[in-house]
Amino acid sequence: MNHDDLRLIRESFDDKRILLCFNGPFSQGLIEEIGSALRTYLSSDAATSSALADVFGCYIEITQNIRSYAQSKGYDDVTASAIVVIGRNAERRYEVLAGNVVEEQDAARLMTRIEALQGMDKTQLKTAYKEQLRRPATPGAGAGLGLIDIARKASAPLSCSLRDTPNTARKFFSLRVVI
Amino acid sequence: MTITNIEIAATQSTPAIHADSQAGRLVMRGDSYPENSFAFFAPIIEWTERCIAEHGAVSVDLYLLYLNTSSVKAMMDLFDLLESAHQNGRKVGVNWYYDQQNVRVAELAEEFKEDCNFTFEIIAETAAGE
Repeated sequence: MNHDDLRLIRESFDDKRILLCFNGPFSQGLIEEIGSALRTYLSSDAATSSALADVFGCYIEITQNIRSYAQSKGYDDVTASAIVVIGRNAERRYEVLAGNVVEEQDAARLMTRIEALQGMDKTQLKTAYKEQLRRPATPGAGAGLGLIDIARKASAPLSCSLRDTPNTARKFFSLRVVI
Repeated sequence: MTITNIEIAATQSTPAIHADSQAGRLVMRGDSYPENSFAFFAPIIEWTERCIAEHGAVSVDLYLLYLNTSSVKAMMDLFDLLESAHQNGRKVGVNWYYDQQNVRVAELAEEFKEDCNFTFEIIAETAAGE
C-alpha cells in the first residue's frame, strides 16, 4: 500500500460518511472494545439515546452472530475475517453494514430468512420475535432471534447481497441495516 | 443446607449480581451481552429456584441496560420460573428501574411484563443505577 492508497481510503471513508470500520477476525474482547468505542463515538456525534441503543444493539447482534457462525464452522482467522461498518446514509440516518464468508448452503438459507423478514411489518416482527424466543435453541442454526431483533431495530427492511468468492463452495454475504 | 449468596462484579459485557439468601433478594445491574449467556445466567436461575423453595418468596430488583438476544432468552427463563412460582402461590415480584432518558430499556421491560402475571413494576428514575 502506498501513500495514495491511504489517501483514497480516507476519501472513500469521508465520501461514504463512515464513522467506524473494522476488518478482521472478531474475538469477544474485540467486539466489546469496538462496541465501547462505538458508544463513545455516537454520544459525541449527538445521537439520541434510542438511536445509540439501536445502533449498538445491531452491532452486537451482527458481530456475535458472525463470530459464533465462524466458530461453528471451525474457520481459521483468514476465513473468519469479517468487515463491519457504521456510518450515516445520505438521509443522515445511521446504518450498520457487515460482510462475512458463509458456506454456499447456509447462504441460501440466510437469504430466504431475510426475505421473509423483509415482508413483515413491526407487529408481525414482534410476533415472530416472541415465537422464536419460545422455541428451544437449536445449536448451529443460530441467527434466528438475532436477525429478527435487528429487523425490529431497523427503520427500513433489511437489505442483503451474496457475491462469489475465489472458493466456489463459499459466498461473501453482506447485510445492511438502516436505523 | 441453606443456599449461599452470590456476589459477582460487573464486567463490560456482564451485569453485577447480588443475590442475598437471607433477604430473599436478587439484584442485577448493568449491560448483558456475554458470548455464552446461558452459562452466565444458569447459576442465577438455580439460586432463584432454591430461594423460592426455601423462603417461598423472592424479590428481584433490576437495573439492567442493554441485553443481547441470548440474554433476553435467559431472562425469559428467569421470568418463566417466577411465573410458575406465582401460579403456585409463592410471593414473587420484579422491580425494573431505568433511567427515564433510556426509552429502549423501558420498552424491553414492557415486553417482558406482557407475559407475566406477578407484580412487575417498571420504575423511571432520573439516574437509574447510579
